[in-house]
Amino acid sequence: MVLRIARKELVEMMRDGRFRVLSAIVLAVSLVSLLAGWKHYTDLSRQHETAAASTREQWVNQPEKNPHSAAHYGVYAFKPKSQLAIVDTGIDPYMGVAVWLEAHRQNEFKYRPAQDRTAVQRFGEMTAGEVLQVLLPLFVVLMTFSAFSGEREQGTLRQLLSLGVRRRDLMMGKALGIAAALGLVLVPSVIMGVVAMALTLEGGLLAGDPMRAVLLVAVYAAYFAVMIALALGVSAWAASSRLALVILLSFWFTNSLIASRAVSDLASALHPTPSAIEFQQAMQADLDDRAPVQRRLDERRAALLREYNVDTIDALPIAFSGISLQEGEEYANLVFDRHYGRLFDLYDRQNRVHQLAGVVAPMLAVRSLSMGLAGTDFLQHRDFIRAAEDYRRDIQRILNGDIVRNQKPGQVYLAGRALWEEVPPFDYEAPATSWVLAAYTTSLLVLGLWMAAAVAWMLRAGATARVD
Amino acid sequence: MFLRILRHEWSTLRADATLWVVAGVFAVAIGYGVWNGVRWVEFQTRALAGAAAEEQERYDGLRQRVDDIVKTGGQVSPFADPRSPSNVGGRLGPRYAMLPPGPLAPLAIGQSDLLPYYFRISTDSRENILAATEIENPQRLLVGRFDLAFVVIFLYPLLILAVTYNMLSAEKEQGTLALVLSQPVALRTIVTGKITLRAMVLVGTVLVCSGVALALGGVDLASPGIGLRLLLWAGAVAVYGAFWFSLAALVASFGRGSATSATILASAWLVLVVMLPSLFNLAVTTIYPVPSRVEMVQAMREASDDASAEGSKLLASYYEDHPELATGDAEQAMTDFNMIRVAVNDDVERRVRPVVARYEQQIVAQQAAIDGLRFLSPAVLMQEALNDLAGTGTARHRHFVAQVDRFHAEWRGYFTPLIFQRAQVTSFDDVPRFAFEEEATGAIARRVGVSLAGLALPAALMGLFGVSRLRRYPVVG
Repeated sequence: MVLRIARKELVEMMRDGRFRVLSAIVLAVSLVSLLAGWKHYTDLSRQHETAAASTREQWVNQPEKNPHSAAHYGVYAFKPKSQLAIVDTGIDPYMGVAVWLEAHRQNEFKYRPAQDRTAVQRFGEMTAGEVLQVLLPLFVVLMTFSAFSGEREQGTLRQLLSLGVRRRDLMMGKALGIAAALGLVLVPSVIMGVVAMALTLEGGLLAGDPMRAVLLVAVYAAYFAVMIALALGVSAWAASSRLALVILLSFWFTNSLIASRAVSDLASALHPTPSAIEFQQAMQADLDDRAPVQRRLDERRAALLREYNVDTIDALPIAFSGISLQEGEEYANLVFDRHYGRLFDLYDRQNRVHQLAGVVAPMLAVRSLSMGLAGTDFLQHRDFIRAAEDYRRDIQRILNGDIVRNQKPGQVYLAGRALWEEVPPFDYEAPATSWVLAAYTTSLLVLGLWMAAAVAWMLRAGATARVD
Repeated sequence: MFLRILRHEWSTLRADATLWVVAGVFAVAIGYGVWNGVRWVEFQTRALAGAAAEEQERYDGLRQRVDDIVKTGGQVSPFADPRSPSNVGGRLGPRYAMLPPGPLAPLAIGQSDLLPYYFRISTDSRENILAATEIENPQRLLVGRFDLAFVVIFLYPLLILAVTYNMLSAEKEQGTLALVLSQPVALRTIVTGKITLRAMVLVGTVLVCSGVALALGGVDLASPGIGLRLLLWAGAVAVYGAFWFSLAALVASFGRGSATSATILASAWLVLVVMLPSLFNLAVTTIYPVPSRVEMVQAMREASDDASAEGSKLLASYYEDHPELATGDAEQAMTDFNMIRVAVNDDVERRVRPVVARYEQQIVAQQAAIDGLRFLSPAVLMQEALNDLAGTGTARHRHFVAQVDRFHAEWRGYFTPLIFQRAQVTSFDDVPRFAFEEEATGAIARRVGVSLAGLALPAALMGLFGVSRLRRYPVVG
């Protein structure tokens, strides 16, 4: 019976002119956004790959110089594009693309792509993700608001129930029918998305992380299920189709346009971000406090003099200047970890407010998950920041270690290509899917909760709805 | 008669809960929006004050150190000498170039959370200086702010449509329209009356609420041009409102039922406010893609590698270009580290300029395309107008960056001769200072005027067309 109702609902919808117009619009917009996403992705990832290769070239082709000069010269790290950024660019445009890895300092990522765009971008990006998060729920609302109330208003509901159709079956059947119609609109886009991704990957589709894509589809499917159930529930509960439409449109507006901004401002009021000046000053004050480094150096000097049984550091078989440089790095690393750690924790707390606020507006939970799975969220940027910083620290260790071994007192020491090549190329591997899911348990729970609540509410509204 | 209609409408509207709900929601949203704007302006002001204090403290420190050196006659490493023009112009004495929030900044946060509002000016390269930004949670930048401009651009039209979509159709559906028209009154007059009253309520709510919130948040009424700005701001709110009221009048004149009118108006809102702007953005970023800045980073690096490799040769050619800087002992100067650095910087900048120009060119092309496309979406027109009035848009920022460029040149022009003459910085008071010159109010008014005309023209056309169509309005059936 459920299937029969679903089929009737689907057929009816396909014959409806409104459905055909709306689905044509949705289909066109999602294809356009996918195409544009694909183009942006291929352009950017090519540029980033070229840049990564050339920063490596520059590094190994350095002329002979002191390792510490090379450390000051440094390398750049460029964040590779995540493949699912085709679907959801997330915070990518608002995050710097390049970081300079040099001696003594953890730098910030610079050059946010958004700064190179017009103010119109603040209306939204029209990525495939935005189509799915904002436009499709509206599509669901418009297709569903009269699904139940319409039957009541036309008097067909009484007939249906008199035939012995169970209300539960009726609701489930309608939900299924609407879901099938939505599927018809979405399947071409999904196929195109898969093809686009397959084209961008050299090793074929499976070279990427198919699990992420599958989960992404599941998250959006769950979101649409929530929207369908809610809309159907409201359609049954509201006194008229008109009231159902007003309620659902208000919900859509609040959910997709108001909530995120309102919550963002709330989150920053709860967890205020410091200004760049405050942040830099506090960090600089800690870096300028050389006493801990001095203490540590005194200890090491004494220990080394004892160990090698000599009187002056010049008599040591190793270069103390290298040790001193490395100690400076180690101390600065602690300072960076403390200050950047605090700042990034703050962002995480702000973003967690978004996840929690998903209880009020499911779109917030969906967006967090979507960015997370697409690899374009702050947590994964933070992971890249950490990887780049680890790499910087490795470079310093390698170079300073070389100074310790090879520099002789009173001599100019120059190292060459052999040492530059000792530094491995920077290779970043994105975190595993399970790591992402673990980070977004809140959003997963919230989405699951919405799903259960929406379906329960739909069935309840169907069970208690007036017949006329 | 018109007044009587107004009075009657007022008493019916007053009795309807919708209006009060709408006005209440609106007032709360406006309050929250202005509060967020005011907080952001306070944050910026605090950051700028922090920068100014840091600079002052640093300069006091420099003066102190110079005094100490002079008094004790002590030796000081050339890399730490606070009198060396190379040190002062470079690491020790940078001054801040600051863009203070405009007088109406709390009204629209615009691009001000994304584009840096202060730079630390030194002899470093232009690109390095301009790359500094305020720190911010990127997700917050993505989501955008809940400011008054957001309320006005997104919510205000929806509320207008909510109170106007059935102004005629409801009367028709209730059967009161025929009754009213049996009196000697034109339908035109009734519609105009209904719209006038609703406009007074809604436009009034925006203006009064934001005025009160602004007064509480603190707007400097003494700042130059503030009167004109406030006037234009009120005008923008009124014209944007007029656009949506006219649209509602036009749709009402079709004589469709309430449900159909609502659907048409909601779709128009969705297309004009949500979809078109995003699609414009998609179009311009796809047609005029700005390459990733990683390319610029690499180009700068290559240029500086090449330039450093031939440092002393560059210095020679620099002398050829600037013979006035050559002192007698140019021979020895060749080896002077600081002079080589000036020449290298100069060369790097020259090599990088075409690369940087490519970015600028694409951005300008994007903006030009948007300047044309904006006339298709009232939301984009309104955004540009509000950002311009608040001084948080792209134009004022470009104006600021142009001044920063000039100041950077002035800065170098001050230190480079000192470096070449191997002179010392004698007075820190002579080190150039940056003072932001506000955009001329006339220029802003012109830009905003174009946007407002772009809103007013379609509003007038739709309104006139709608009203003229009312003559053929099917009062019954």
